[in-house]
Amino acid sequence: MGREKIIEGSGLSYHYTVYDDEGRPAAKQTALDGVDLQVEKGQFIAILGHNGSGKSTLARHLNALLVPDGGTLYVNGYDTRNDTHVWEVRQSAGMVFQNPDNQIIASVVAEDVGFGPENMGVPTEKIWKRVEQALKMVGMWEERDASPNRLSGGQKQRVAIAGVIAMRPACIVLDEPTAMLDPAGRTEVIRTIRELNEQEKVTIILITHNMEETVYADRILVMDHGKVVMSGNAKEVFSRVEELEHLRLGVPQPALLAWKLKQKGLSLPDGILTMEELAEALEELRKNGQRGAVREL
Amino acid sequence: MLKEITLGQYYPGNSILHRLDPRVKLVGTLVFIISLFAFGSTSAYIAAGLVLAVVITLSAVPLKFILRGLKMIFFLMLITALCNLFLTPGDVIFKVWKLQITAQGVRMAIHMAVRLTYLILGSSIMTLTTTPNQLTDGMETGLGWMRVLHVPVHEIAMMMSIALRFIPILMDEANRIMNAQTARGADFTSGGLIRRARALIPLLVPLFVSAFRRANDLALAMESRGYHGGEGRTRMNPLVYQRRDHIAYGIIALYLVMIFLIWKYVEISLPFLP
Ligand SMILES: Nc1ncnc2c1ncn2[C@@H]1O[C@H](COP(=O)(O)OP(=O)(O)OP(=O)(O)O)[C@@H](O)[C@H]1O
Ligand SMILES: [Mg+2]
Repeated sequence: MGREKIIEGSGLSYHYTVYDDEGRPAAKQTALDGVDLQVEKGQFIAILGHNGSGKSTLARHLNALLVPDGGTLYVNGYDTRNDTHVWEVRQSAGMVFQNPDNQIIASVVAEDVGFGPENMGVPTEKIWKRVEQALKMVGMWEERDASPNRLSGGQKQRVAIAGVIAMRPACIVLDEPTAMLDPAGRTEVIRTIRELNEQEKVTIILITHNMEETVYADRILVMDHGKVVMSGNAKEVFSRVEELEHLRLGVPQPALLAWKLKQKGLSLPDGILTMEELAEALEELRKNGQRGAVREL
Repeated sequence: MLKEITLGQYYPGNSILHRLDPRVKLVGTLVFIISLFAFGSTSAYIAAGLVLAVVITLSAVPLKFILRGLKMIFFLMLITALCNLFLTPGDVIFKVWKLQITAQGVRMAIHMAVRLTYLILGSSIMTLTTTPNQLTDGMETGLGWMRVLHVPVHEIAMMMSIALRFIPILMDEANRIMNAQTARGADFTSGGLIRRARALIPLLVPLFVSAFRRANDLALAMESRGYHGGEGRTRMNPLVYQRRDHIAYGIIALYLVMIFLIWKYVEISLPFLP
C-alpha cells in the first residue's frame, strides 16, 4: 500500500574530523556507519543508544545541519546534500534539543514560537494563528506572555516543541528532550509528544536514554558505534534483555521484572512492558493454577 | 533572586509615553541630545529643562526612578565639573595658590553639568517607558536605513535581544558557580582589590566555557529553525505608526525649531551666572 515516506536514508555514514593541538586535521572519528532509516508519515520512532553511539549525529543529518559522507538521505523528498533545499529540509524536520534554555531565542514565549515562521517569511496574521494553534497543542497558551526564564524545564521544552510545530514540519526530531528535566517535567513532555502523535498525527522521532519513554513507540531503533543494531517494536526489542545489557542499555522496569520471573520458571508471555500488563499476566497465572509458583516467589 | 533584575530598568505603565512607538522615542531622544550639544545657551537650557519636566510628568514614572540614573554618573559629573571649573582659562575671579577659577570656567561647569543631567534624564525616560524588546524592535525597524551605510542593523538588534534573554541565565549560573566555589572555601568578599579580582578567575573560566557552549547550542537551534539573517524575514509584531506617533513626530520637530529660535534670539543672563 506504500504509506508516504517522510525520511528515507540508506547506507548513511559520517565521520567527524578530529583536530590536533595545532588545529591540523589529525584523525577521523566515525559517528555513523551504514545506517538505514525509513520513517513513514504519522509514525512514532524511538532511537536508543549508549553515549557516543551516534544518535545526535543522526538527528543532525535529518535537519541538514550535517550532510552524510556516504549514502543518501531524503527528507520529505528533498535530498539533504542539495544546498538549494536546505530550508525546505529544515522546515520539514523540526528539531528539539536537549537543553531547554539554549534553544529559546526570544524573551517572550509567544515570540519564541513565532521565530520559525518569521524566518520562513509567513505573513504576520498567519504567524499569530500558527503560534496560537501550536501553543494550544502543547498546553502553553496561557503562558504566552511569560518570560521563558520563569518557566519550569518541562514547560520550556513544551515551548520549544511549540516553536517547531509552528513551522508545520512533516516530522519532529527530539534529541534527548527530557535528559535535563525532573521526573514531573519528563512525564509532561512525553505526554505532550504522545498526544501530538496520536491526536495530531505528527511524525515523531524521539532520541532518548530512557527506556520507559520508548514503550509507546511504533518502532525502536537501537544504535551502537554508529550502526543500527536492533530494530523492531517495543515488545520485540525489550524481550532481548541480555543483548541490551551487553549494549549497556537497560530495559523498562516491568519488562526486566517479567524477564527475571521467567528466568525463575514462571511461564509469563513475551513482550510485557508496563506494570499493568505484568499485573494482568500474573493474575492470569494465578487463575490458571500456578498459584503455588507465584506464592513461592 | 537574580531573575528579578530587569534590564534596561523598564518601569511598567500605560502612560502616553509608554504607548508611543519605540521609533518615535528613539528619534525623540536623539533629537533632544543633539539639541543639547548644538544649541548650548542658558536660555535654551531653561527651555529644554521645561520640556523635559513636561515629558517626565507625562511618563507617570515616579521621580525616584528617574533620578536613580543620575546617581550612577555622579562622580563623572563631579570630575567634569571640577575640570571645567579649574582648567578653563579666562577672567580670574578667585585664586588660591595655583588653583584659579574663571568666570568662563563657572559657566562651562554649570553648562556641562546641566547637559549631562539632561542627557541622562532624557535617555532614562526612554528606557523607563520602553521594554528592551520594543527598543531592539525600534532599533531594527527605525534605523533600518543605516544598512545603506553598511551598519548591520538587523544583526545588532538580534544580538541585543539574545543578550537580553541570556543575561539572567548567565547571572544565575554565575551565582551557582560562586556558591559552589564558596562551599569549597573560595572567598570572594575579603582582601584587597587584586585579591578579589584573582578570586574571580575560578568563577569566570567556567562561566566563559558555559557561555560558549550555550552560544554553540543556540546557533544550532536558530539554524534548525530556519534562521538565515534578516533577509526575507517577516515580523510577528511589526511596528505600526498610530496617529499619536505622527503627532509626536510633529512635536519633536516643533521642539527643534523652538529650541533653535530661543538659542538664537533669546538672551538670558542669570544673576548668579557671571
Ligand atoms: N563535533 C565533534 N567532533 C568530533 N567528534 C564528535 C563530535 N561530535 C560527536 N563526535 C563523536 O561522534 C560519536 C557520536 O557522537 P553523538 O553525539 O552522535 O553520540 P550520541 O549518541 O548522541 O551520544 P550522547 O548520548 O552522549 O548524546 C562519538 O564518538 C563522539 O565522540
Ligand atoms: Mg546526543
